Amino acid sequence: MYMFKYICKRLGLVLMTFTIIFVMCFVLIKLKPIDMNTVGIGQDADKLRRLLEARGYLKPIPEQLFLYLKRIVLDLDFGVGVYIPQYSGQPVWGVFIEKLPPTILINVYSSLLAVPVGIVLGIFAALKKNKWQDHFISTAVMVVISVPSFVYASLLLFILCFKLPVDLQLPKSMLSLPDIVSLFPEKGLQYIPLTFNWDLYFNWPMIKSMLPAVFAMSFGSIAGYARFTRAELTEVLTSEFMLLARTKGLTKSQATVRHALRNSMVPIFPSIVGEFISVLSGSLIIERIFSIPGVGALYLSAINATPVPDYDFFMMLSAFYTLIGLVAGLVIDLSYGVIDPRIRMGAR
Amino acid sequence: MNIKNVIRSVSAILLAAMMLVSIVACQDPEQPGNTSGTPDEDKTYTYNTYTTLSPSNWNELTYQDNNDTQIMSYIGSSFYSYDFKFDADGKIVPGEFVMKYDAATKLEDVSADYVGDKWGVPEGAKGYAYKITLREDLKWDDGTAIKAEDFVYTMKEQLAPEFQNYRADSFYVGATIIVNAENYAKQGQTVDGVDNSASGKYTVADLVKGEDGVYTQPDGGAIYFALTEALDWCGGKTVTQYSAYLDAEAFAALQGLADAETGRVAITDETIALVTKLIDTDDWGHEGPENVPYYMVYEYTYPETKFEDVGIFVGETEYEIVLVLAKALPLLKEDGSLSYQSAYNMSSLPLVHKAKYEAAKQEPAEGSDLWTSVYNSSVETTASWGPYKLESFQSGKQYVLVRNENWYGYGVEENAGLYQTDRIVCDTIGEWNSAWLKFLAGEIDGIGIDVSIANDYKGSDRAYYTPDDFVASLQLQSSVDQLKARESEGVNKSILGYTDFRKALSLAIDRHDFAVQTTTSSLEGFGLFNSMHYYDVENGGAYRNSDDAKKVLCDIYNVDYTKYDSLDAAVDAITGYDIEAARALVTKAYNEALAAGDIKEGDKVLLTMGTGTITEVVTKRFEYLTNAWKELVKGTPLEGKLETEVKDFADAWATDFRAGKYDVCMGGWTGAAWDPGYFLLAYLSPAYMYSSAWDTSSVQMTFTMKGVGENGADVEETMSLIDWYNCLNGAAEAKYDWSANALEQEQRLQLIAALEKEVLKVYYTVPLYNNFSASLLSYKVDYITYEYNTFMSYGGIKYMTFNYDDAAWAAEVAAQNGELNYK
Repeated sequence: MYMFKYICKRLGLVLMTFTIIFVMCFVLIKLKPIDMNTVGIGQDADKLRRLLEARGYLKPIPEQLFLYLKRIVLDLDFGVGVYIPQYSGQPVWGVFIEKLPPTILINVYSSLLAVPVGIVLGIFAALKKNKWQDHFISTAVMVVISVPSFVYASLLLFILCFKLPVDLQLPKSMLSLPDIVSLFPEKGLQYIPLTFNWDLYFNWPMIKSMLPAVFAMSFGSIAGYARFTRAELTEVLTSEFMLLARTKGLTKSQATVRHALRNSMVPIFPSIVGEFISVLSGSLIIERIFSIPGVGALYLSAINATPVPDYDFFMMLSAFYTLIGLVAGLVIDLSYGVIDPRIRMGAR
Repeated sequence: MNIKNVIRSVSAILLAAMMLVSIVACQDPEQPGNTSGTPDEDKTYTYNTYTTLSPSNWNELTYQDNNDTQIMSYIGSSFYSYDFKFDADGKIVPGEFVMKYDAATKLEDVSADYVGDKWGVPEGAKGYAYKITLREDLKWDDGTAIKAEDFVYTMKEQLAPEFQNYRADSFYVGATIIVNAENYAKQGQTVDGVDNSASGKYTVADLVKGEDGVYTQPDGGAIYFALTEALDWCGGKTVTQYSAYLDAEAFAALQGLADAETGRVAITDETIALVTKLIDTDDWGHEGPENVPYYMVYEYTYPETKFEDVGIFVGETEYEIVLVLAKALPLLKEDGSLSYQSAYNMSSLPLVHKAKYEAAKQEPAEGSDLWTSVYNSSVETTASWGPYKLESFQSGKQYVLVRNENWYGYGVEENAGLYQTDRIVCDTIGEWNSAWLKFLAGEIDGIGIDVSIANDYKGSDRAYYTPDDFVASLQLQSSVDQLKARESEGVNKSILGYTDFRKALSLAIDRHDFAVQTTTSSLEGFGLFNSMHYYDVENGGAYRNSDDAKKVLCDIYNVDYTKYDSLDAAVDAITGYDIEAARALVTKAYNEALAAGDIKEGDKVLLTMGTGTITEVVTKRFEYLTNAWKELVKGTPLEGKLETEVKDFADAWATDFRAGKYDVCMGGWTGAAWDPGYFLLAYLSPAYMYSSAWDTSSVQMTFTMKGVGENGADVEETMSLIDWYNCLNGAAEAKYDWSANALEQEQRLQLIAALEKEVLKVYYTVPLYNNFSASLLSYKVDYITYEYNTFMSYGGIKYMTFNYDDAAWAAEVAAQNGELNYK
């Protein structure tokens, strides 16, 4: 019951915080000055003003906010891209829906790779503390964490996709969805733009074409998990209850797995959830290097669009990421209780 | 030694070494054989290319940037087009072109049929109305026939007021102005503040005095004197900005009567008298009462207009389009053949597939009045009447074009053997390095040479160099007020306000060395225009090759051409670099500034260089300039006292420079390469100039226009630079009409050169290099020529030939272990 009340309270807070951030984003982006004199040589000098007026962008901000909320709540219409050149005239929601799967998949795959590898390396390093294996792993971790992701992304591209023997090379960029359709004519796959079709992603050629990006994305995470796990496990292994576990007759591996590992997971597991959710925003650099048509660059493009920010893209992405952030916070907090039943939030 | 430390160190070194080895582990493979293949009908020829930004909207009516035109160019056709000129041996004649009919079969000047009030074509005039006869076999890719009514329907949609289509102004601003197009597109809209000096619509006598003593337009619309609005008559500035030159008493009185928010003054007898007094001063050239209307702005509502009144309709047959223009456009030469302008200004008219376009219309969202369309933004909404059609498109990832078998051109005899390309695959690749690896692996067929590989690949036999009309120039701050405002104790900037100092900065730069050191393949540039600017396209008149233009450069760079065998020899001797003269100028400017109190002894000069993004190339260029200028001040009073700094102004770099927020930037202009007279706008109009504080409406130039007066007499005049510019372009308010329609190009040339010289000699704009881009072309394909042709480029997809079909190319790449050598 305590938990239920706690969840209700937190959900209420999430909703309130979301509303405040949403309205603030709307007002602030609308306050960004517009250079009305942006006009090319040989163009109608008044064109921009008339277009803004016709789109309703010159109405008072509260009126615009009301109309916008009405549009998204009643019609679920998130608008159409206007000022991001690559997406002008395209429905904001459709573009987002089409671009989210590659971003999610790359992050899921990289998490699937990074979590076990990172934790295993961390455990191994902790168990071999201060031995050469620990030093090797720790040094590797330090190098990977210190080097920017675009460096090893470029290296991976160069080695895996270019320098390996031709037969072993991975694709240099992610395959396009029409490519997948043409690869499997017998499956009757269809690519319908701006829609959501998982079938196009769950096949070996597509997964293979994502692998270089997955490896590049997972390097940093592997290093992070390894370092974190090693630090936590090292501390737990020196706790008194571990001595007690050994004295009651458990072997070292039994004590490590049953007691040390579980205790060390208390801070590690929420970090896995948090990292997974945070990376939904995509990686601008990784997506550029491997030509992933993901959401990485969308937010920045929306804000930097000229002569006017792309309001509809900005607002939808702001709402999405705000919600993701708030829900992530909630999920992380709740996960403590799942990992360690002794933790009961909201209990008095 | 601690063994743990040793192990830790060894581990780190091992890891670093592994990474290093992986970078350098490559061996250059053998260069593939360049076997020239003969096209075979059973083989597939795919041209693989890439773009950094995906197009999104290839709708002719609404596309917003050049990125969108990459698909448009394949799915559309032209009425008439340029082509290479071939000699009797079938070889291309360098630099020349011919005009050809494509989708149209005939173009006739029918101006005489539309003389009169309805269409406004003057008696005896030519170039106002044209009849375009279409081929009768034009089809969409789905087989639907294309007739004249489709073009008329499209123009109606193009100008539809409820859509406010982005490209609608193509038919009422610029060269191609269709009668009533603007009225139809803007009908019902009210524009507040139309500049009467630009439109020349009203004199004081035209206005109607109300009972309250306030004058209005004849239809009752409001009209005012404008104190704070930019006026054409004031060179794009406001009356208030010029108040120092105007009658102070009258100005104060008008200010007192002005609306506090708008700065507008109601027109009454009293205010007419005040404005008359305001402009009758020595500093303002004692303008008379006849100029009073030039300070008015008025409200204008575009009238309701039927599309039937717009100058485009179907002719006598269903394949004839009649076009009536408000401004003459010489699409035909005297002998009735196509002029270069037919393909330049009206290669085609916009065309949409009616059924698809109607289906793609989107109603306005609540709160908006704007109808939109998703036509030509996906495969389903796209229609082609060009050589290729869209097969697939994934936004931000890839598009694929394949042959449009319904294109009329494949049945045209003279296209036999051309258009060898079957498919065009274009991937979106944001990162150049990724694209480069794909190029080396034979996965894309062309790439620009990045500065990082320039030294290795500049000399490749697959490298080619493309000039463009962009002249990269150093822009030096023109606002002395802003320079002074940004000074601090011991830090001087206002010396940049001295022409001699700016000239010294210019003479300290060795243009050739600058281009070699800081660009991939560009060449030194000295003038506002380069070899890509044509003042007489029809006759191949490149501006920079003219004697007038050559003399400008000699004068500006102090080369006495009388001492050389020829003008060309004199121009060849120009380097733009004269360090001794430059140092003398620094000393002179310093002494003058010291005497004027603009600099103190011991002050250092700090020049702030601004840019949009601080990249490796930008840093290299600014470092070069810094070193050149530090060298410049040696032996002058500023020795050791000239410093520079670089700041990032992001997207606002140009706006901020114009606002005087920093001192030096690199910028230039591109566009209107075939109309340098018009292009001078970028250097003379306050709306566009980098040197926005340089008042071109007050700088006077005395010049003699040879042979343009009555009976070929010379005309000598003293006018402001902007007035000369207006004459050159036949602006409504200009004293003379010396536009391309009124004068021979050779006659206009002398004025273009004079104005170029005026711009260069103030050294706010210092040309540095003429832009060339370097590219590599895959062994798989070849252009018909590697000598750039202004009109045809390298022949494009039409003339592209393949040395390998897809299968042979894959085998060749595999034989080279997936890595081709282009060095």
